[in-house]
Amino acid sequence: MAEEPESALQLPPSSTTDGEGPTEVSPETATPEPPSSAAVSPGTEEPAGDTKKKIDVLLKAVGDTPIMKTKKWAVERTRTIQGLIDFIKKFLKLVASEQLFIYVNQSFAPSPDQEVGTLYECFGSDGKLVLHYCKSQAWG
Amino acid sequence: MTDDKDVLRDVWFGRIPTCFTLYQDEITEREAEPYYLLLPRVSYLTLVTDKVKKHFQKVMRQEDISEIWFEYEGTPLKWHYPIGLLFDLLASSSALPWNITVHFKSFPEKDLLHCPSKDAIEAHFMSCVKEADALKHKSQVINEMQKKDHKQLWMGLQNDRFDQFWAINRKLMEYPAEENGFRYIPFRIYQKIIKFLCSKGCEKEGALSMLKSYFIF
Repeated sequence: MAEEPESALQLPPSSTTDGEGPTEVSPETATPEPPSSAAVSPGTEEPAGDTKKKIDVLLKAVGDTPIMKTKKWAVERTRTIQGLIDFIKKFLKLVASEQLFIYVNQSFAPSPDQEVGTLYECFGSDGKLVLHYCKSQAWG
Repeated sequence: MTDDKDVLRDVWFGRIPTCFTLYQDEITEREAEPYYLLLPRVSYLTLVTDKVKKHFQKVMRQEDISEIWFEYEGTPLKWHYPIGLLFDLLASSSALPWNITVHFKSFPEKDLLHCPSKDAIEAHFMSCVKEADALKHKSQVINEMQKKDHKQLWMGLQNDRFDQFWAINRKLMEYPAEENGFRYIPFRIYQKIIKFLCSKGCEKEGALSMLKSYFIF
């Protein structure tokens, strides 16, 4: 995982917005963004055929943790796990002092400063990253 | 793996001579002497600096002490990165000893994770191991182990016991004879941000050829 520039490597408080928050994916259409026109114009950030800027995340509650009404979200690749935790806590109206843990593959809790894009590359399947969230440590 | 035993031992027993100095603005009752320590490259700052903490807290009042954190030349040091990584990334071109500044105030919330206890370090370490095994063995090896094996892995690291650690870790480094290797090789690349003029094309080629030179595909 490449080192991120200082400004991006934050554990921002939930009140700040570093770019767009996750957007809801409508049940019928989870359409990816159209590919950028990078194929045609030189000097753009992403080469032709590169994947969309947002990835699809499916959130699953564990144990007696409240279930989110909306489970599928399109999340910016550079959003950190901590950012996602803050978002879920706000959405579920949890107190700041309450803990929330996020797990990949129902087995490990990624470091809060990891980007969801990287996790999607390594552990995504069927076009999405499945994350389990829990108020207590479910899988150690 | 047995052929690599010497290399494994060299990696495990790697040490960085370090000088810890209290930040000048910390309030002390008398002068704080610097504290010298050999840091294990494979461990974590908050796991191996209890003596450093005690040394400086001896000259401070309780009310002036909150969570300890470390900094090198203005950069807060992420305790959840292995010590060797921090050194290689930030200080490898400087003369030894590695000079680290110790703080007990003004915890940099935006840069560092809190480290509330040794349990937090253990949880982070075990998560990293599990994440790696998810790629290597689809988590089969780590999940088939008992809780006591996981504990032994952690205790081996915490207590600097090479044999205790590798008795468990070797299972995570093996693969069935019929396979030619792990399902996927887990690795992380950490880069210093060095701004230089380079076209997109040559940047990519450089990174790719570097990777190719390290791994045989």
